[in-house]
Amino acid sequence: MIAARGLVKTYGSGRAARRVLDGADLDVARGEVVAIVGRSGTGKSTLLHLVGALDRPEAGTIEVAGERVDGRSERELSGFRRRRIGFVFQFFHLVPELTGEENVLLPARLPGAPRGAREHGRELIERLGLGDAARRRPHELSGGEQQRLAVARALVLDPPVLLADEPTGNLDEESGAAVLALLRSAATADRAVVVVTHEPRTSAMADRTVTLVDGRLQPAEPLLFGGGR
Amino acid sequence: MTGAAALLRGALRLLRSGRRRTLLAAAGVLVAGAMAGAALTVSVGLGSGFDRSAERADLPDVVARFADQPPERIRARITALPNVAAYAPRTEIANVRLRAGGESTRRGSLQLVDTTARRGYAIVAGRDLPRTGGNTREALVEQGLARTWGLEVGDTIEVGRAGPVRIVGVSIAPDNVAFPLATAPRVYLSGTALAREFGGELRVNQALVWTHDRSRTDVTLQQARATTYGVGNLRFVTRTGTRLIIDQAAGVVVALLVAFSLVALIAATTMLAAQAATEVGRRLAVIGVQRALGVPRGAVAGEQALSAGIVGLVAGGIGVTLGALLVRGPSGDLLAALNETPPGSALLLPLAGLTVLLGLIAAVAAGWPAWRAAGRPPVALLRGGGLAARAPRRRAGGPGRAGFLGLGARLALARPGRAGATVVVLAASGGVILLMLGLASLLTALRDDPTAVGTRYALTVTAPAGGAAAVRRVPGVADAGTRVETRGVDSFALGEPVKLTTFGGDVGRFVNPPLADGRRVQGTGEVEIGTGLSTALGLGVGGTLAVQLQSGAELRLRVVGTVRALQDDGRVAFARSDRLLAADPSLTPDLAVRLERGADRAVVAARLAAIGATPTNVAGATTSNRSFLDTLATVLRAVALLDGLVCLYALVQALALTARERRPTLALLRAQGAGTGTVLRVLLGAGLVLALPGALAAFALQRLVFAPLVAQLAAGYADLGTAASPAAVAAVTAGFVLFAVVAAGWVARRVVAEPPVHGLREG
Repeated sequence: MIAARGLVKTYGSGRAARRVLDGADLDVARGEVVAIVGRSGTGKSTLLHLVGALDRPEAGTIEVAGERVDGRSERELSGFRRRRIGFVFQFFHLVPELTGEENVLLPARLPGAPRGAREHGRELIERLGLGDAARRRPHELSGGEQQRLAVARALVLDPPVLLADEPTGNLDEESGAAVLALLRSAATADRAVVVVTHEPRTSAMADRTVTLVDGRLQPAEPLLFGGGR
Repeated sequence: MTGAAALLRGALRLLRSGRRRTLLAAAGVLVAGAMAGAALTVSVGLGSGFDRSAERADLPDVVARFADQPPERIRARITALPNVAAYAPRTEIANVRLRAGGESTRRGSLQLVDTTARRGYAIVAGRDLPRTGGNTREALVEQGLARTWGLEVGDTIEVGRAGPVRIVGVSIAPDNVAFPLATAPRVYLSGTALAREFGGELRVNQALVWTHDRSRTDVTLQQARATTYGVGNLRFVTRTGTRLIIDQAAGVVVALLVAFSLVALIAATTMLAAQAATEVGRRLAVIGVQRALGVPRGAVAGEQALSAGIVGLVAGGIGVTLGALLVRGPSGDLLAALNETPPGSALLLPLAGLTVLLGLIAAVAAGWPAWRAAGRPPVALLRGGGLAARAPRRRAGGPGRAGFLGLGARLALARPGRAGATVVVLAASGGVILLMLGLASLLTALRDDPTAVGTRYALTVTAPAGGAAAVRRVPGVADAGTRVETRGVDSFALGEPVKLTTFGGDVGRFVNPPLADGRRVQGTGEVEIGTGLSTALGLGVGGTLAVQLQSGAELRLRVVGTVRALQDDGRVAFARSDRLLAADPSLTPDLAVRLERGADRAVVAARLAAIGATPTNVAGATTSNRSFLDTLATVLRAVALLDGLVCLYALVQALALTARERRPTLALLRAQGAGTGTVLRVLLGAGLVLALPGALAAFALQRLVFAPLVAQLAAGYADLGTAASPAAVAAVTAGFVLFAVVAAGWVARRVVAEPPVHGLREG
């Protein structure tokens, strides 16, 4: 589902330049949940952003669900994100002026969203038990409720890839567990889930864990704790 | 000193850290500065133009005009008056043929100057006529004539029987407007040299009088009126009276420009304050750390204020200079048309003051939010100060109802203070734009359409065989009636000119200027007078207008109403013809012709000529100031366009601030697949929710505040309609929508230029 090869990304310039990704490769199969772990500042979130076409690599290729990401225009990338990617962020990023339901249905209102996406969104709200939260606005909800709404929003267009950046980093244990269960259940036969985390419980629910060290991914090692960049 | 240096370093660091924001703020201050600078230049020029020019020209306090007299008799009378400091005799010969450079006129005013006395004019090019008298082959021409005919010092002008004379200087005297606004261009020859050459003494018909105490001129005039025996046709014009008339006219323009520059300043201040508030909101945590480390509240606010103050001072200075330079030419032309000189270096101090004011406004607008923020507990600031976490106040549409336009509207309304301020700026600017467009249309109408100044007839004709009845039968003619028009002077004020227009029968059939007071003429012996005449004579409803006719006869009429007539500065009177014809039977009536609605004046004129009635077009406000009115209308439309830029800036700034503040939201949309079009719709929604109420408020403001205010200021000249024309309303609405689209497009382009991840990191 995801095939990234030789990804390079540098922050800063001149003597202050720091290469956080230095030829990183990532492969994720359908139905698989992959956890990316690593020390704080090693480039875990950067990798996720590149795969999700939120940022551009300086070198390397990315293919998601059969579509090449690298070298495409911003207009094409917008369409790509809409069709292929669902994002879940550590800080939820719900629009404070909108109710829970309006936030969930936001992607369904984008031009090019498939017909029936709104109904699918409402079904998700019901299925995830967010009926009450859907009527309220973010500042009236708990962190767990907000993140579950964010997951529902990420799934509303039924993307083949779900990318989650520290999804439980801002939640208590109970809420975090509920969100993790939701992510786990999202990894269906047609969907891959990639989670950036520094929490053992998150990597524990993954099918596979990879570690980012010196700008490259390595197979699972004992978990190194740290925040995402 | 160390503290000040640290403050300056901090302020410069702030400027460097947000170059784009700094440039945007600078652009706003620059635009506001340019407008305020332009307004100040014109205001100072016009506001102080008369006094400045009168001082420079040594304008006399009183000019007395009378039938030709021996100079000794006049000298004896005037020197016997109290409070007289100096006196200069002059001979004016009217309707002199002038010819130069392929141009000619038969309405020249030849001024024969006693060169041994004070002059009452200023030389703006070349030299004056020498005190010794010089020779009769040298002349001065007034600046208006020189500009209009392209004459320069050294050129030759043919002056009536005097023949060709060499121009040695160009003069101005602000006692009258310049040629061609004034129909009679002035040429000055040495009366002293003429008298010497012809060996006689010139009879004089003017006396220029300078008083010791200008405030007591009325006493001198009273004495003068008491000693007028033997002096016919005596009329007085005072410097104070001239100033009053010019100030009235300039006052409207100055008031408009001051209002306009205030709008620009309010716009810039509001936007600067909003930008500073956003900037402070973004830096709350930094301010929290500063406060936790013991940085004083004043230093935190001072840094912000100083950085904005520097921007305000530099950008404001550039803007003020640009604005002043931009209007220097048109303002100079306007002053030249009024026979006034530009302020020159006297303008530097006000412009410098304005620049400092802009710097202070910017500093206060930026320093105040920082001062408020720094007053909160550091721990609250470190938590983010609750700015981002503040709960939205209410629901109002959204993607569920109005799609992404609705979302944009909600994002803009999430900051009600800023949204309100932007709407106020748009409303004020829009109101001024509507007013300017309205005034420009009015000027155009005044130029072309006599009905705009209350004259209902478009043609006058000599009576053909068959009289008015034959004229009425001509297709396109709605009505025709006899008219007698003559000029005279007021018998009491001795010198105030009056243009008397009378009609056979109902006056209202042919003239209906707006009524300022009283009622319309209904019978013989009644008169409506213009507000200009009413002001000049201190004459109101119930008084008696006594007119000395050119034949020497006197006509007395009872004033029943005052009207806002534009012709002849409002020194007009309308009555029925019978009394006038009885007083002066030599006067010949012509016919006033009203046209049917939509009738072509040229076509009807041709038909009238065909039946032997020689037609003459009736002009608007005046016949000689067509280009002047054109220029004014163009200036007003240009000012409206400039004001439109304030609206565009306000919208760009408001949307840029919204986009800056809601960067994570916009980035989130893009992360979910929203393209440029969706971002544009969100920002357009934010723009329209400000622009449309702004346009509505502008219509209300123009109708309820601006128009009545200007109508009051211009009451002596015109009746300004309070409702903007549908075309102007449509233009302003379309303009606001267009500005919202342009602003949204510009900001959207900036938003999508950065990868979405940058905005998401701010969440």
